[in-house]
Amino acid sequence: MSNPIKKIMVYVDGTEQSVTAAQYAICLASFSGAELIAHYVINTRAVEDLLKARIFLKDEQVEYEHDMEADAERYLNYIDELAIKKGVSIIKKRSRGSVHKEIVDSIEENDVDLLVIGELSRIRSRRDEFFDESERAMRAVPCSVLIVKDQDRVWEMYESLV
Amino acid sequence: MALIDLVVEKIVKIPLESQDKPDVIRELVQILKDAGEIEDFDSVLKGVQDREDKQSTGLEQGIAVPHCKSAAVSSLKLAIGIAPQGIDFDSLDKQPTNLFFLLVASPELSGPHVEALAEIAKLARSKAFCKALVNAENAKEVVDLLQGR
Repeated sequence: MSNPIKKIMVYVDGTEQSVTAAQYAICLASFSGAELIAHYVINTRAVEDLLKARIFLKDEQVEYEHDMEADAERYLNYIDELAIKKGVSIIKKRSRGSVHKEIVDSIEENDVDLLVIGELSRIRSRRDEFFDESERAMRAVPCSVLIVKDQDRVWEMYESLV
Repeated sequence: MALIDLVVEKIVKIPLESQDKPDVIRELVQILKDAGEIEDFDSVLKGVQDREDKQSTGLEQGIAVPHCKSAAVSSLKLAIGIAPQGIDFDSLDKQPTNLFFLLVASPELSGPHVEALAEIAKLARSKAFCKALVNAENAKEVVDLLQGR
C-alpha cells in the first residue's frame, strides 16, 4: 500500500501550540515524504464583528488587520525556517476571512489528507461562544485531523530529526 | 491559548470597589498585577487608558471591554471585574456598566487577541448570561458560569 498521506496541512495562528503543531507536522512530512502546507488565516471576520459590536474603532480595524498580515508573514517565515533546518520544504499559504471556513476551503482545494492543529483547550465549556477557531476547524474539515500535544516531547522529536 | 483557559478565580474580582471610570480601569489592571500576570503596571494602565481616550469601550447592556496591545505582556491576559451596583463608564447607551472584561495582548499576538475579543463579544450578546454573571456571589461562581459547569 502506498503512503495514504500525501498532503499535510498545519494551521498556524501564532500561538505556541500552533508552533508545536508545525514542528510535529515537519517531522511527519519528513518521515512520510508528504507535501506540507502551512496555512495562516487573517481573521477579518472577527475584526468585522468587533467593529459591528463597537469594541473596535475603524482605525483599530485597519491597525489589527495590518498587524495580522505582519504576524502571518513572521510566523510562516518562522515555520519555513524550522522546516528548512530539517530538509523539509513547505508551501506557505495565507488567506483572509473566517478561519474555519478558510481552512475547509483550502483543504478541499488542495486535496489535503491530514490537518494538523495545536492542542485545544483542556476545559470543555458547554457555552458555544468558547469554541475556538481550531476547534471549529477540527469539526468542519472533511479530512482526518491530528491534534498535537506535549510540547516538550514534540520539541525533542523535532530536534532529533536529522 | 483559548480564552476559556484564562478564566481562573484569581483574575476575577467581585464586587469591584471603584466608583468611577479612571478608578475602575486602575482596579482592573491591579487584578492582573495581583494575580502575577503582569509586572509593568504603569505601562499596561497607560495602554488601556490611551485606548479609552479614543472612545469608551463601554458598550450597551452594562458591558465594557477595555483592551490594548502591550509589549509588557508576552501572552493574552484577561481580568474580569463585576460591579453589581453599576459604574459610569461613559458607555454607548449612557447606562451604568456592571460587567468588565479587560484584555491585554502582546503586539505579536494580534490573531489570538482578535479571536478572544470576538468570543467576549459573542458572550455579551446573551442578556440572560450576562445577568447571571452580574448576580454571581463570588469568583468561583463566575468561573463556573463561564466554563459552563
